[in-house]
Amino acid sequence: MNFTRRELLERCAAFGVLTLAKATPVAALAAAWEEAQKMRPTPYCELGPFYKRDAPHILTLRAPGDAGMPLTLSGVVHNTRGEVVPDAKVEIWQTDNDGHYDIEGYRYRTLLTPGPKGSYAVESVMPGHYPDRVCQHVHYLTTAPGHKPLITQLYFATDPVFEGNPDKNYTRDPLITGRELVRPVVIKGDPKQMIAAVTFDLVLETL
Amino acid sequence: MRNLVALVALLLSGVSAFAGSKPISTVKVPCNSYYQVLSPDGSQLAWRCKDRTVHVLNVKDQKELRVIPAAPGVNSLAYSSDGQWLALGFYNGNVEVASSKSLEPTHRWKASARRIDLLYFFPDGKTVIVGPTDADGQVWDLSGVPKLAATLPFEFGGMNACALSPDGKLLVVAGDDTVLRWYDTKTWKQTLENRNFLLETFALAFTADGKQVLAGGADARITVLDALAAKTLRQLPAEKGSYIVQLELFGAGPSAATVYLDDAGGKPPHGRVWDLATERSVALGSDKFPTCGAVVGDKLWLCNADGNTLTIAQYE
Repeated sequence: MNFTRRELLERCAAFGVLTLAKATPVAALAAAWEEAQKMRPTPYCELGPFYKRDAPHILTLRAPGDAGMPLTLSGVVHNTRGEVVPDAKVEIWQTDNDGHYDIEGYRYRTLLTPGPKGSYAVESVMPGHYPDRVCQHVHYLTTAPGHKPLITQLYFATDPVFEGNPDKNYTRDPLITGRELVRPVVIKGDPKQMIAAVTFDLVLETL
Repeated sequence: MRNLVALVALLLSGVSAFAGSKPISTVKVPCNSYYQVLSPDGSQLAWRCKDRTVHVLNVKDQKELRVIPAAPGVNSLAYSSDGQWLALGFYNGNVEVASSKSLEPTHRWKASARRIDLLYFFPDGKTVIVGPTDADGQVWDLSGVPKLAATLPFEFGGMNACALSPDGKLLVVAGDDTVLRWYDTKTWKQTLENRNFLLETFALAFTADGKQVLAGGADARITVLDALAAKTLRQLPAEKGSYIVQLELFGAGPSAATVYLDDAGGKPPHGRVWDLATERSVALGSDKFPTCGAVVGDKLWLCNADGNTLTIAQYE
């Protein structure tokens, strides 16, 4: 049997497991608990140009022979209470390794529908730098019924711009709105076929 | 529009004169600039320096009329169509409107917590459209204390462009969500929309008869739409590898002047003038490109910033 936090608190109080001060109603305690448990929403980071509607649902964006280190992007979409957000859609777009967005087609663009556990994963390559932007980045647009659309960008802790110290240097790109958008890069695979892996969980706010 | 227009000037260097144009003025300016706005009567120039200060200059006598300090920083500028009013949009979400004669602010208010990317005056100078970054568009009534008259929502993101019909009854709005929306300016109810665009529209213009709307954007082509039915009528040839950031209609025909940026930011911007009837175009000079412009008396004026000099010429 599954209980919500509120139900669990009420039952604990009813059975004397939890002793409540007279002035602290269960509802207030539950609300305080839920507030304390809340996760911070993923910071907004501006949309920027080159969004393209109707991206295809594909899980492998890189094609054989594409330049750049292979990259696996993965994460979970949930709300600020840590619950899986049903019917979420995650749109991801980025440049190729040379720093070019595909305007005419849909290279390095996808629309993902996370599974029942809210998880998503996509195979790509490390995006390139281009003159108008400081850092390598991947754009995310996440939508779900009953939730505010989340517009954000993912950055890489390995970006040379940060000189190995993203804590200190992440503000070198004025568009980076929070340190948490700069994600660690885990290198996997053998030395001949290395793959970069980045986890980026997306926390949505309810409307 | 995230200051895409500003990028036009950011990339310029080593330019001389527009091909096929008549010189109007050469203005000495206080600093290098990557963003300038020429008033619609050609009398005034608002010039943003790289340190974010804005200098307002009289084009004729080159007198500096006002300096707006670097903090909190101006991100967007717009003159009213009669040149009587100048609006400034700040990085901190403030908006200021000043008479272009006195340059004394008449209205100043906090429109958003976000940067102001777009400002657009109605001809009466009393209604201003404000586009904060990645947020709903706003309609502000300035007939008294600034009052939010309506919001113009998007599925996500913010406003990239808007255009008012010549009779003032329709406002067409382009959003980051790639949808063009038609609004009745009396009720501010959305009446129509066009969802045929896969990419963003960055520039909109009504034809003088109000029958058509022209859109240009990331698909690098001019799309002609039926202004009353919101239907796509035709599309002009695209400039591959670039996108349209500015679109101005002028002259009989009419002609459409467009400014393109390279989509990777690696090549210099360039301009073209399109004959809408024949769908043919000519380059706006081969050795320089416009960094700002205005339609003055139905003539296209173009300016080019080069260091501390700004050249203004009339396209012939």
